[in-house]
Amino acid sequence: MNSTPDVYALLERGEVYSLEDQLELLADVTQSFAESLEIEATLRNAIEKFMQYMDAEAASIFLLDTDADPLNPELVCRACAGPVDISGLRLPGDKGIIGKTVMSRTCQIVRDVSKDPDFAGQVDAGTGFVTRSILCTPLIVRQKCIGALELINKRGGDGLFDDRARHLLGALASSAALAIHNARMADRLVEQERMRKELELAREIQMHLLPEPGGDGFPVVGMNVPAREVSGDFYDFLKRDDGLIYFSLADVSGKGMNAALLMAKVSSLLHHLAREISDPGELLARVNTEVCESISHGMFVTIVAGFLDPAKRMIELANAGHQPPLLHHVDGSFEEIAATAPPLGVVAACAFPVTTLKLDDSSLYIFTDGVTESLDESNSPLGVDGFIKLVRDAEFGPATRRLQGIVRELRKPVVSQRDDITLMVIETDGDRRPDAMKTQQIFALHFRAEPERLGPVRALVKRAAQSFGCSEALADKLVIAVNEACMNVIQHAYRGDSSGEVSLEVRTNGTQVIFRLEDQADPIDLQGVKPRDLDELRPGGLGVHFIREIMDHSEMGHLEHMRGNYLEMRKAID
Amino acid sequence: MQYNSRSAGTYTVLELKGEVDLSCSPDARKQILQCLDSGRHLLVDLSAVTYIDSSGVASLVEGYQTAKKKNLRFGLVGVSGAAMGVLQLARLDKVFPIHSSTEERISADG
Repeated sequence: MNSTPDVYALLERGEVYSLEDQLELLADVTQSFAESLEIEATLRNAIEKFMQYMDAEAASIFLLDTDADPLNPELVCRACAGPVDISGLRLPGDKGIIGKTVMSRTCQIVRDVSKDPDFAGQVDAGTGFVTRSILCTPLIVRQKCIGALELINKRGGDGLFDDRARHLLGALASSAALAIHNARMADRLVEQERMRKELELAREIQMHLLPEPGGDGFPVVGMNVPAREVSGDFYDFLKRDDGLIYFSLADVSGKGMNAALLMAKVSSLLHHLAREISDPGELLARVNTEVCESISHGMFVTIVAGFLDPAKRMIELANAGHQPPLLHHVDGSFEEIAATAPPLGVVAACAFPVTTLKLDDSSLYIFTDGVTESLDESNSPLGVDGFIKLVRDAEFGPATRRLQGIVRELRKPVVSQRDDITLMVIETDGDRRPDAMKTQQIFALHFRAEPERLGPVRALVKRAAQSFGCSEALADKLVIAVNEACMNVIQHAYRGDSSGEVSLEVRTNGTQVIFRLEDQADPIDLQGVKPRDLDELRPGGLGVHFIREIMDHSEMGHLEHMRGNYLEMRKAID
Repeated sequence: MQYNSRSAGTYTVLELKGEVDLSCSPDARKQILQCLDSGRHLLVDLSAVTYIDSSGVASLVEGYQTAKKKNLRFGLVGVSGAAMGVLQLARLDKVFPIHSSTEERISADG
């Protein structure tokens, strides 16, 4: 490469200023470059030495600054020596002797600047310094020119720089270029490390604010799986001396340190106030006032906070702009508890109406949008319906195990989790209920969508119903409902195509029997399936009515991850 | 499902036996309509029906409507417990003329 001559070859040929001096300079400069990552100071030190050793009146290092405008980078003086301090001076990247050096990536020797059309002369004009001759060499590292090293006005002799000076400066330049490159890499690493530390700290703050598990049978269980980027989700609960249990789950807008700090503030305020205030509306109003005074523009907090009275099995809560919690009733249905107020930090004087829920044996699920926005296997967001399905399919048993099961499912299809997953379940007598929530499969079978299969299916269903304690009358009714459901699959989903397959699973949780039918037919029009008006006397259309009449709960939908439909029916065992 | 038919006074009595479900209800429907085609009143005897589904019930409804159009009498007799449960679910127990036996129906006609 023309800009990095073999210094040792030069030395051998004796084309040197002084062998010892030159070696010493190179060793000295290279050593200080290698030792220091404080590149500005090292460059200032080095440029001073270059100037003295090469007998110049002034010397400077200009680096290309691509940050401001990558297409038209400017040259910025990063270090200089001599009578005029020009550090920080910015020059156009393609103008003047330095610009020419950088653009052509070749060393420029100008013996008389007054005769050189490229000489810009703006420094001289501003300072009274008179430039006569220039030696300017590009700084090249990894085939990339990052700037230039310039010497001005050779002292003594004829006042001109010669080829030997050019070669030596080239050698010094390559050493300097490498040092600058390394320092920049180091800077980047330091910056990355700083950001990593910040995220770690933010996450640590977050994790420390989450409560310790309440232990076996405690009615509130929460779970938080932070995404790689720290966001401001949190949940909290505490048992008060009067027996009430405070709970909250929130999502702070934004990510990183700001969100973590706001989350820490809101969470601590709530935790403190919840010992004194028993009205969730008042609790949120107090925190909202505080948050509105200090919040940075555009940030807000969506939150559900409330109190559980474990003795009365009642919940009072307020929902400030948060994803509606779901109340999972014992009959299998879900009820959304909608938000009643805007998020915290939006409107300063704001009321937070309280919703009262009779919890009894139901379970209340509170969660952030990180849950519903998780991607399923087909890369589409899970949605509330998808979450409901997960809750339904979750392993039965204690709340902690069910939440773990749900989280496991949520994270399964995702390559990199996009957002925090935070969820909470509240249910009383959790320790006494596992039996009620645990289901046991009675049987599962697959059969072709042929009318001739219905007889054996009915016989199986009846025997199963009786085996777990249903009365004869109820068993007969269950048979009717399941038979009608199977008929609908054969006639309407498969439209008589008997090659289709139907699967039927029967489970019980001890108090209910659960039937689930699945087909692989084209998705049916769910709106079109409704019981007909019985006053209208006509053949057909009775099946859906039978099912609704007999079962406590029935629900149909399209299968999530494959073609097909499902129908799930539940009935309390008498 | 099995079936047989006999005459009783001005009626044809069609007796259905066993399970009347989707696999045989088209057959039951055909029998009911054929009986009515002959122009005689029809009683469907359900005393030996152990199971009937909505498609079987639909055949009965169609028979009832067809008889009305033809100005023929249509009734159910000897409805088994299994069949009655389904008719009640469909709120048809008050729609169909139902008698305990063919004899009772004939005497009720006077």
